[in-house]
Amino acid sequence: MRVTQNMSSNNAIYNLQQGAARLAKLQDLTSSGKNVNTPSDDPIAARLLVDIGDKLKSSDQYASNISKATSWLDYTSTALTGMSDIINLAEKVAGSMNSGSADASIRQSAHDQLVELKKQMVDLGNTQYGDQYIFGGASNTTRPFNQNDNTYTGDSTQLGIEISQNSTISLNVTGDRILKGSGSSPSYGSTDILATFDNLIAAVGDNSTPSNVSAISRGAIDLQAGAQQLNNAVSDVLSRTTRLDNMLTLNDNSKNALLAIASNVQNVDYAKLGVELSQQQTAYNAALATTAKIQGMSLLNYM
Amino acid sequence: MGLSAVITAASSGLNAYQIATDVTAENIANVNTAGYSRQTVQLENAPPTTHDGYPLGSGVQVASITRYYDSLMQQQLVNAGTSQGYDTQKSTVLQQVEPTFNEVANDGLGAAISNFFGAWQDVTLNPGGTSERQVVMTRAQILTDNFHSVSKSLTDAAATQNSSLVPLTDSINSTLTNIAQLNQQIKGAATVSGSANEIKDQRDQLVSDLSQKLGFKYTENSDGTTDIYLAKGNTNYYLVKGADAGSLSVASAPPSGNYTVTAHDAYGSTTTIDNSVYSGQDGGQLWATLQMRDTIIPGYLSQVDTLAKSVTDAVNTQHAAGFTPTGATGQDFFTASATVDGSAARFSIAAGLTTATIAASGSAGTPGDNSNALAMVQLTSSLTVPSGSATSTFSSFYSNLVSQVGLDVQASKTVVTQDAAFTKQLTTLRDSNSGVSLDQELSNLMKYQRSYQASAKVLTTATDMMDMALSLIR
Repeated sequence: MRVTQNMSSNNAIYNLQQGAARLAKLQDLTSSGKNVNTPSDDPIAARLLVDIGDKLKSSDQYASNISKATSWLDYTSTALTGMSDIINLAEKVAGSMNSGSADASIRQSAHDQLVELKKQMVDLGNTQYGDQYIFGGASNTTRPFNQNDNTYTGDSTQLGIEISQNSTISLNVTGDRILKGSGSSPSYGSTDILATFDNLIAAVGDNSTPSNVSAISRGAIDLQAGAQQLNNAVSDVLSRTTRLDNMLTLNDNSKNALLAIASNVQNVDYAKLGVELSQQQTAYNAALATTAKIQGMSLLNYM
Repeated sequence: MGLSAVITAASSGLNAYQIATDVTAENIANVNTAGYSRQTVQLENAPPTTHDGYPLGSGVQVASITRYYDSLMQQQLVNAGTSQGYDTQKSTVLQQVEPTFNEVANDGLGAAISNFFGAWQDVTLNPGGTSERQVVMTRAQILTDNFHSVSKSLTDAAATQNSSLVPLTDSINSTLTNIAQLNQQIKGAATVSGSANEIKDQRDQLVSDLSQKLGFKYTENSDGTTDIYLAKGNTNYYLVKGADAGSLSVASAPPSGNYTVTAHDAYGSTTTIDNSVYSGQDGGQLWATLQMRDTIIPGYLSQVDTLAKSVTDAVNTQHAAGFTPTGATGQDFFTASATVDGSAARFSIAAGLTTATIAASGSAGTPGDNSNALAMVQLTSSLTVPSGSATSTFSSFYSNLVSQVGLDVQASKTVVTQDAAFTKQLTTLRDSNSGVSLDQELSNLMKYQRSYQASAKVLTTATDMMDMALSLIR
């Protein structure tokens, strides 16, 4: 084949360009630290990375949902424990009055204690998380309980939130289930705790009214059932918290697995790049050297 | 006959080697001229005469100056040029479009969709919360901006292609005119002296240049001219016929304002440049520009529109089923879009929607209910976007689109690399045949110089001999 100067210089330019392009690619990979910088670098990997990125976003969102739900349930649990304590105190009062009392001042003091305890019970029933009444169901922007009568103005809606794809958990415990003993799935018991308090208050009498012994013992039995009802609610809340903890671990695990896959695809292998870079450097230097040497040769040098 | 014959032969040598040196000088001077074909002087011995009873040649003469030209190679170069023009244009535009879909960093349209539904997740935890509702509005606005930005950059890319048709056809037209003019000069030179090597080289170079911009077929005629034509079915439209040139014209068609390209041939008949003329790579840069404008970019845009329409419809249906804190229902979240076309460009939050009228509740009169927000969140995992004959989720539809754009760009880059390698190989082959080798020319130069010196020596010797013969007479 006949070889002309332009052929060798075109070849040299073409091959130097190829070498320079390879070096630029290596430089791009090294400086970005990423294998896929644009979708066209590796369309299949890009798809995977976009999917993983999307899943990681939902994963972060689920983690945030879980942590918010956990603190909501912690509030609920604290309120329920407070209610249990109040019932215990009320049981003590009922115990001390179980055979009634002839002393008007003792009756009056027991009466006053029970009235105060009921007020506290209603206050706990109006516990707020942020500006939501946690025992109000879906009508949680207004107080579900009041001090005047025993009506419940919330509803029995169970609010669900998503804690992983298409998996929801009930966030709230409604006031009617715990203090009114109504509602089903879940049902904690059938004791109307607020009415029980009223009955007991009437049973112990006051400084002018004598005690009704049989009503007091009935009230004490009802209080026990109420305490059991609250315990049921507490254990329901605890089991939900446990489920949230598990989901959080699961979520973290799947997030870590996704991150590992993504970094496997996306992160460059610096050792491999280093070797390739030094190979390309050698090749490029050799190409430059031979180009300069060969281009310099001409018959003109000897004429 | 006698010594004068020697002088004639020697002076013919001087003449021939001077011409040979001229040709060498021309070759060396044009070593870097694009499209130049090296020329050589063809020497032949002059017709013989009878010398003292012996037949003997009367020196040397230049038979012709020929150029090294391979018409088959030219044909290959033209074909390769057309493919390269098409692929390069396509690849360049695709690479301009790609950043719009660069979702690898997870901060584009796909992320905006995820974030929008993520904001609804927060609403499920506090359905009445003003700040949570505000985040939904903000995310919806960002989603709107993203749809607009993607739609606009695609529309702009198509519009750029459209407006580039004007300078492109202008440059094609001027090349066609130049080729026709050179054809005329070649014809003229042929009638006068027979050879027009340089003009032919220039013409062939223009034909090669033109092949990048426009797909065409050509024929080389016996009079040295080249005809250029477009083949549509069995009809040929001559853009150059001898010394006559046709042209391409552009006319914008309302309402899109897209240009239609029409070829006017040298005989006056016209044809529209469309897929009955070209099928793909055979159309060069012009056809790539038209394809990008009419098929490829609108293809991406229609996928984005489909996504926008699906998001609008799904979110609206769910939102209309819910209740605002004050119990209102049946309200759209995004402005309803009647057709898929332009859904991304029209994407907007419904007029009158405020944080107070976001319908998170599943029933009237329960502002704390989150069931509609929860249902909204679960749209992300429902198969709502029509994708071919199947349906897919928002995110998988979008990541498919990203992957498809990536594949298209990758394929076009690969083809351009192959084209460059192929063209380089053809150029090398052409250079091997037609290119100027300086060493060869220098070696020729020395050879011709020596020959010229020798002829001159013969001449001086003959003159000496003539002097000697004359001194005998004296």
